[in-house]
Amino acid sequence: MSHLRLAPRTVPLISLDDSCLGAFQQELDYVHRSFRRLGVMSFEVDDLTQDLFVALRRSWGTYDPNRPLRPYLFGFAFRIAAAHKRKRRREVAMGIGSEVDDTGPRPDEELQSKQARAVILAALDRIPLPRRAVLVMHELDDVPVNEVASVLSIPAFTVYSRLRKARRELQAGIRRLLRQVAGE
Amino acid sequence: MIWSRAKLSPEVRLLLDRERLITVLPAAARARALSRARAALAAGVATRPISSRAPSAARWAAAAGLACVATVTVGAAAYELGLRARPTAAVAASPRADTAPLQPNVARSLVGTLPVTPMHPGRSAILRDHAAREELRLLQQARAAVAGEDFLAAKRLLAEHARRFKTGRLTEEREALEVRTLAGLGRRDDARRAAADFEARFPRSPLLLTVSQMPDSAP
Repeated sequence: MSHLRLAPRTVPLISLDDSCLGAFQQELDYVHRSFRRLGVMSFEVDDLTQDLFVALRRSWGTYDPNRPLRPYLFGFAFRIAAAHKRKRRREVAMGIGSEVDDTGPRPDEELQSKQARAVILAALDRIPLPRRAVLVMHELDDVPVNEVASVLSIPAFTVYSRLRKARRELQAGIRRLLRQVAGE
Repeated sequence: MIWSRAKLSPEVRLLLDRERLITVLPAAARARALSRARAALAAGVATRPISSRAPSAARWAAAAGLACVATVTVGAAAYELGLRARPTAAVAASPRADTAPLQPNVARSLVGTLPVTPMHPGRSAILRDHAAREELRLLQQARAAVAGEDFLAAKRLLAEHARRFKTGRLTEEREALEVRTLAGLGRRDDARRAAADFEARFPRSPLLLTVSQMPDSAP
């Protein structure tokens, strides 16, 4: 049985817990922002972020480090946000207001930038979650369509279709909001 | 990518570019999230693997089928019970969702005067949302009181929360704060009892480890 060779024993330098926590820490800002983009209210983000970490840790052993981390995390965020919405039926009009009680003042951001973000979030809130997720991944996170399809487990054609509709909705929503802001 | 962005107007693309930047979380929020993650690890995250992928199409189809059957059943039952003969006067008298008062923070918002009716929420949804905010407000005040070591005030707020939201969505947090408050008041035996109750009631809580240490860690 000379063909049987002993493979060199690989000893993990850090535990799964540590590597998962490290990745989570590295992308914490992204996770928070993704939840907000998916319409989660600011005071609920902490709870859902913890849910995401628990889910991430459970499947961390199967994560392929050669694949980009952010789309992987977004997949969790999308499903957790969707389940949360189904459970709580929180598709109530909070819209722009929820941005104000966000995680505290950000002196590094200009007022204009805040306003722009508030408008984007408000416009995103008006897009149904499945289409919003596709739009956020592709347009904001620059994830290729094939990767979006893979993460969300939908055909690429569906991604294109949702993207087209979501872009139309976003465009219309932003125009409406900007008109209203200008009319004040 | 270029194909998709070509459809968006320059003003929308400008806004998207601003949103594309991920802002750094405040240090307190970051510390809170990491602390909760570590607590979840310490409490022992369940090892049951879950997929990051969506359920299969077959499962969705089965769920949709079940939903159709349930809808038909409920519809038939409603018909039999005569709900279709609902008096129109009652409908006319019921308040419209879009005339319900807005949240105060919406009014404070930078662009908060915009009409906020994206999903046409029903009255019950708005009431639930009010309740959730009120529940959260009480807990935040209690948490602030505990942080300021004003345990009497915290106790009063927690009692009010328990009275108004006995089975609220933040019950777990309330019970944890209760343990901390009792410990802070020097009622260590009560705190230990409350911690034991907490463990029995929320055996998988990520707060479990912290709560179990509270009775002995308080000054």
